[in-house]
Amino acid sequence: MKSKIHERKNSIKAFASKNIIISLVMGTTLAACNNSNNTVAQKDSIITNPEISKQVKKDTTGTAAPVMVPATEIIAGYLQLKNALAKDNGKDAATAGDGLVATLAKVDIKNLPEQQMKGYMDVADDIKEHTEHIAANPGKIEHQREHFIMLSKDMSDFIKTFGNGGQILYKDFCPMANDGKGAVWISEVKEIKNPYLGSKMPGCGSVKETIK
Amino acid sequence: MRVSKRNHQIDMKSKRKILLVLLVLFLVIQFIRPPHNTTGQVLVTDLTRLLLVPDTVQAVLQNACYDCHSNNTIYPWYGNIQPMAWIIANDIKKGKAKLNFSEFSNYGNRMQISKLKEMANQVKDDEMPIAAYKLMHKNARLSQAQKLAIIEWIQKTADSLAVKN
Repeated sequence: MKSKIHERKNSIKAFASKNIIISLVMGTTLAACNNSNNTVAQKDSIITNPEISKQVKKDTTGTAAPVMVPATEIIAGYLQLKNALAKDNGKDAATAGDGLVATLAKVDIKNLPEQQMKGYMDVADDIKEHTEHIAANPGKIEHQREHFIMLSKDMSDFIKTFGNGGQILYKDFCPMANDGKGAVWISEVKEIKNPYLGSKMPGCGSVKETIK
Repeated sequence: MRVSKRNHQIDMKSKRKILLVLLVLFLVIQFIRPPHNTTGQVLVTDLTRLLLVPDTVQAVLQNACYDCHSNNTIYPWYGNIQPMAWIIANDIKKGKAKLNFSEFSNYGNRMQISKLKEMANQVKDDEMPIAAYKLMHKNARLSQAQKLAIIEWIQKTADSLAVKN
C-alpha cells in the first residue's frame, strides 16, 4: 500500500517537473522568437522611415510646394509586383497589382502642375491598365508577364519624368522575354532576379542602366 | 383514387396560375427598355479614321467586334425583346468600357498600343468574341486566316505607333 502511494507521489513529482521544464523551454523559445520579430519589425521601420521623412521634407520646402506625384509609393508597388513574378507567384503579383491601382487612384490629378499633368496622365493610365490586368489574372502568370512587359516600359518612362523616389534603381534587360524581342524591368537590387522567367532562369539578363 | 384525381386537378390549377403570372411578368418587362446604342455615324475618333485598316481586317472588326465595342450596335430582331435587351445592353456597356473603337483616338498613344496588343492576345487565346455572341452571329466565328490577319495587322500597327512614342 505504502509503496503504491509512494509510487504515485513520485510519478506526480516527475510529471510536474517534466512540465515545468517543458514550459520553461517553450517560454524562452517564444520569448526569443518575439525578440527576433521585434528586431525585424524595427529593421523594417528603419528602412521605411527615411522614405517618409524625405517625402515630408519635399512637401514642406515652403516654396509654393506643388503637389508631388507619389513616385516612391508607385515605384514600391511596382517592385512588389516585380518580386512576386520573380518568385513565380501570380497570386502575390495580383495582390501587389491591387495595391498599385489603389495608390494611383489616390493621386489628385486636379492639383498637379500643368506641365506634369499630361505626362502623368498618359503614363499613369497605361500603368493602371496593365496593373489591372495583372490584378485580374492571379492564376495566369504568363498573361501577367505579358502585361508586365508594357508595365515595365511605362515605369521606365515614369521614372525618367518623375524620378526614382529617392532610391537607386537598376534598369535590367531580359533578351528572351516578349517572344525573343526582349523586355526591360526595373529593380531595386543589382542582382539579376528575372521576373519574366522566374525560377526557370532567374539570373538571365543584365543591368543596362543605373538610375541614381 | 378520388383523392389523387382531386390532387391532380389542384396541381393543374396552380400550374396554370404560375404560367399566367409568368406571362404577365414577361409582358410587363417588355415596357422597361434600355436605350439603344446607336449614333448612326462613324465618328472622327473612330479607329478606322486614325489608322490604315485593310479591308479584310475592317470586315472582321465590323462583324465580330463593333457591336459591343463601338457606339453603333446593329441589333438583332430578338434584341428588342426582354430579357435579351438587358443582356445585350449589359454586354455593350462592359465592352465599351474596356475598348471603344469609336473613340479610339481619344486614347493616348501609349494606351492605343496597349489596347491593340490586348486585342491580339484576346483573339489569339479565343477569349474574344465571347461565346454567346459567336453562337448568335455566324460572322463572328473567325477562321484561322481571319485571326492571323488581325494579329498581323495589330503587330504592324502597334510597331508603327511605338515609333511615334
